[in-house]
Amino acid sequence: MEKKVLTLNVNNQDYELYINPKTLLVEAIRDYINLTGTKRGCDTVSCGACTVMVDGMAVKACSVLAMQCEGMKIVTSEGLEVDGKLAPIQKAFLDEGAFQCGFCTSGMLMSAMAFIKETKGKPTEMQIREGIEGNICRCTGYNSIVRAIDAVVKGKYAEGKK
Amino acid sequence: MNRYTVINPHSKFTVINTHVHNVDGIAKVTGRATYTFDVVLPGMLYGKILRSPHPHAKIKGIDYSKAMALPGVKAVATGNDTIGAKQGIWRRYKDLCDEQLLTIDKVRYIGEPVAAVAAVTEEIAEKALELIDVDYEVLPATYEPLDAIKKDAPEIHEGFERNINVTRHIEWGDVDEGFAEADYIREDWFRCGGQAHMCMETRAAVSSYTPDGKLTIYHSNQSPYYMQGLMAGVMGMREGDIRVISPYVGGGFGGKFELDGAIFATAVLSKKCMKPVKIVFTREEDFIASKRRTPMFYYTRTGVKKDGTFLCREAKVFTNGGAYTGMGATALYLTGFFHSFPYVWQKGYRYDGYRVYTNTLPSTSMRGFGAPQAMWCSEQQIEWIAADLKLDPIEMRRKNSHYEGYEVPGQATIASCGINQCYDEIRKWIDSKGKLPKGHAIGLSACGFMSGGIFNWFDTPYSFSSAVITINQDGTVELNVGAQDIGQGSNTTMAIICAETLGCKLEDVKVHSSDTDYNPADLGAWGSRQTLMSGNAVKRAAEDAKKQLLEFAYAHSGLNIIYDLDIKDRWVHSVSRPERGWPYEEIVRKALRGKGGQRIMGRGFYTPYRKGMISPAYSYMLQGVEVEVDEETGKIKLCDSMTAHDCGQPINHLGLIGQLEGAFSMAAGYGYLEYMPYEDGKLMNPNLVDYKMIRAPEMPPANIAEIDTYEPEGPYGAKEAGEGLTNPTAAAIGNALFKLFGIQIKECPIRPEMVVNALKEKKAKTGK
Amino acid sequence: MSVSGPIICPVCGKKAKTGSAIDCARHMFGTGDKPHRQWVDAQGLSFIDLMIEQATTPGNRSYQLLADIIEKDAEKRQAAKK
Repeated sequence: MEKKVLTLNVNNQDYELYINPKTLLVEAIRDYINLTGTKRGCDTVSCGACTVMVDGMAVKACSVLAMQCEGMKIVTSEGLEVDGKLAPIQKAFLDEGAFQCGFCTSGMLMSAMAFIKETKGKPTEMQIREGIEGNICRCTGYNSIVRAIDAVVKGKYAEGKK
Repeated sequence: MNRYTVINPHSKFTVINTHVHNVDGIAKVTGRATYTFDVVLPGMLYGKILRSPHPHAKIKGIDYSKAMALPGVKAVATGNDTIGAKQGIWRRYKDLCDEQLLTIDKVRYIGEPVAAVAAVTEEIAEKALELIDVDYEVLPATYEPLDAIKKDAPEIHEGFERNINVTRHIEWGDVDEGFAEADYIREDWFRCGGQAHMCMETRAAVSSYTPDGKLTIYHSNQSPYYMQGLMAGVMGMREGDIRVISPYVGGGFGGKFELDGAIFATAVLSKKCMKPVKIVFTREEDFIASKRRTPMFYYTRTGVKKDGTFLCREAKVFTNGGAYTGMGATALYLTGFFHSFPYVWQKGYRYDGYRVYTNTLPSTSMRGFGAPQAMWCSEQQIEWIAADLKLDPIEMRRKNSHYEGYEVPGQATIASCGINQCYDEIRKWIDSKGKLPKGHAIGLSACGFMSGGIFNWFDTPYSFSSAVITINQDGTVELNVGAQDIGQGSNTTMAIICAETLGCKLEDVKVHSSDTDYNPADLGAWGSRQTLMSGNAVKRAAEDAKKQLLEFAYAHSGLNIIYDLDIKDRWVHSVSRPERGWPYEEIVRKALRGKGGQRIMGRGFYTPYRKGMISPAYSYMLQGVEVEVDEETGKIKLCDSMTAHDCGQPINHLGLIGQLEGAFSMAAGYGYLEYMPYEDGKLMNPNLVDYKMIRAPEMPPANIAEIDTYEPEGPYGAKEAGEGLTNPTAAAIGNALFKLFGIQIKECPIRPEMVVNALKEKKAKTGK
Repeated sequence: MSVSGPIICPVCGKKAKTGSAIDCARHMFGTGDKPHRQWVDAQGLSFIDLMIEQATTPGNRSYQLLADIIEKDAEKRQAAKK
């Protein structure tokens, strides 16, 4: 198949790629743009390790083609910090110890971000759990992750708070 | 959301057991952490493994000429490219070193590596696999241990009569006398399933063999030192010419401290073509070709007095060893030992364990190391005995439990034991819940676990753990350990112990681990050994460094001999007059000058001596799980849980909570989700759609009552908290079902249809 | 007739635990190497069948059988010495 030129906007930066149209978004991010924070843990769109945000929505990057995401804003775990300042969800993960081996963490952070962005008001605990249902974590048992998200939505890391 | 209470909290520490961030946190939450999965080296090739489709077959010949001719293929390797060494981690027992990793004569399980290809892209490597012709002579196969021991069963390994791989026998007291005296005897048969480690990072390795005869390996593992030693054996090289780097590791859980197909095939391929080669298992490969938890068949017979005193028990166990030994010999021993835990058997205990080869995926260690299986059987039977005798299950357990000072005859001395208070806390929790909603019940399970093993089947001449501390001129500290962080947070735990002991701040400590070129040997992360063993090494190294530093402080201070000095929180001070002191950095600089510009270095090492047959120290716990069951579908829902837990002195606060909650999720999976059905040696669900993993909405609160005790052998009194917590949950879930319906499920993981069938059977028998 | 003193393993010379016949039997099973197996088979028992019987039936019959043979053998040796 003939390669094509494609521009992907990842973490507020345009990248011009020359790739096979069959290339998955996760392959483009990891192997062509060399952002390896996003991982892969399965071949059946089941584990969520490859989750990124595309136009604010949590998307499993192994389930879409890179070409399908041209013109959209893609955010990976590397794009959460701004000028070296950690995003609230990252601070919350540190405070709650919401990671262990860290392999699922990038995907989990993005699912958490997308959930926080699209949730109005204060979600219940079960709603938070359902928000990360697509992400498997083998290490933490999820509860620390839920506590971290809960702390963020309750405003613990809002601007102006210490 | 989760309750966390501490019973008997000890003296306040400066760093230990405080709410500190994981030292690898920034790397992990910002996408900066690089795993073997991410490693790319210049000129690197991609490898793929050709696997046997047969459970048992002779290899008559392999023709890979067509594969070599495919453009882009740089090397193909088979067992004939190796020295044919049969390896195993039980190096002291050559009989049990039975696995070639690229097999030469025979394949013994579906998925066993037969050949490997290295090519410029993964796609080409995969295509090349199809071009390799293997001439198999299929042999009859056997899949279940009770079939494999039959006289006419096919012989899997030459010289192992009836396919019996290993046997283990533990006995103390007079069991038969016990049964003669018993008022009540109960015998039950159980079946314990296997389980996949299901690490988020599959098996992965990058090997680079260079013309100077040196081998550098990036590998996702739990013990770089073990890999170095084992690879030396299979490559016919000196250990010192092999460097193993284990960058961030995406989970291990007991499956990654042996050699695997990835590390071996990449090394052999790299040596053949003198280029770096990378192999990453697909998730399917990881399911079918990385060793699993050992499935077991348990017969257990227990004799008690009518007042609930435990007199005696005998257990006979067959384990399904699969095609190779792996760590299965240790699992065989530990399951028999922990099946007696945490109770005193007044008259005696007997265990006969038999590990049997079959033509299935080899079974090995997995978090809990045989104890989850042991407790599945023991704790359910104990609950049934309590019900048969109409005794309170908590009190019956309590009167028979271990206590501080107890000696398990010929096996272990219990130097610290908080289980009595565990019973109190669970009782409190149950009482606080009051009357449960309809369809809910709480199931209990007790257990204990080891804090590292005393065994040296690896035959290492090195001390089990070592640490080196170097203090820089600004007071920052290079902490060099061999302990391996696989997510459990050992880097943080070691940094905490170093900071507390030396008296610097946590952020002063830079932990160096995971590279055999730069770190001292350490047996690695298994058997829940690192907090106690590596922690002791770090504590000793820090004490050594502090002592040297204080020499200069004493000289500088000119204090009267009756005053002693210590360092806390970067303040060197007189212990009795802490306001009299000097900044730590100041003393560091004086020491540097005093030593002619040489930095202070402290060294520490630890090996357990005369600590029984298994471990220097044991953790204890009682867990309660509240369960809701849908009678129609048999589906189980976990609603709540409380674990009363004694790990001595917690060191890493966030780490401990993480271990408890994480172990619970894995143990729950073993109890009711993670079924691995095999048919004719083939795994039927090697993917994450069909293999059921617990998800966030299914995880209940995991409340903790932390009972602090003091373990004399552990650093600051610490014991393990990594594996013990994986042991009770399956039995607790089973016991909840028993409480709710009176049904006795003897096989785990519990599937919904088993519940439905049990209820049907019960209705048919009793009309209820 | 009984043996005076602890029983020494007739194959490797080891005194197993308390030196009782049954401890020696357990030691033989536990070691399971060729020499021990051959000795048991030479006494007219089948090592492997004994082991499998121990695994698949309640009780201690296999150990006891082997212990009896070990004890008789020890008596013979002691008598021969006199």
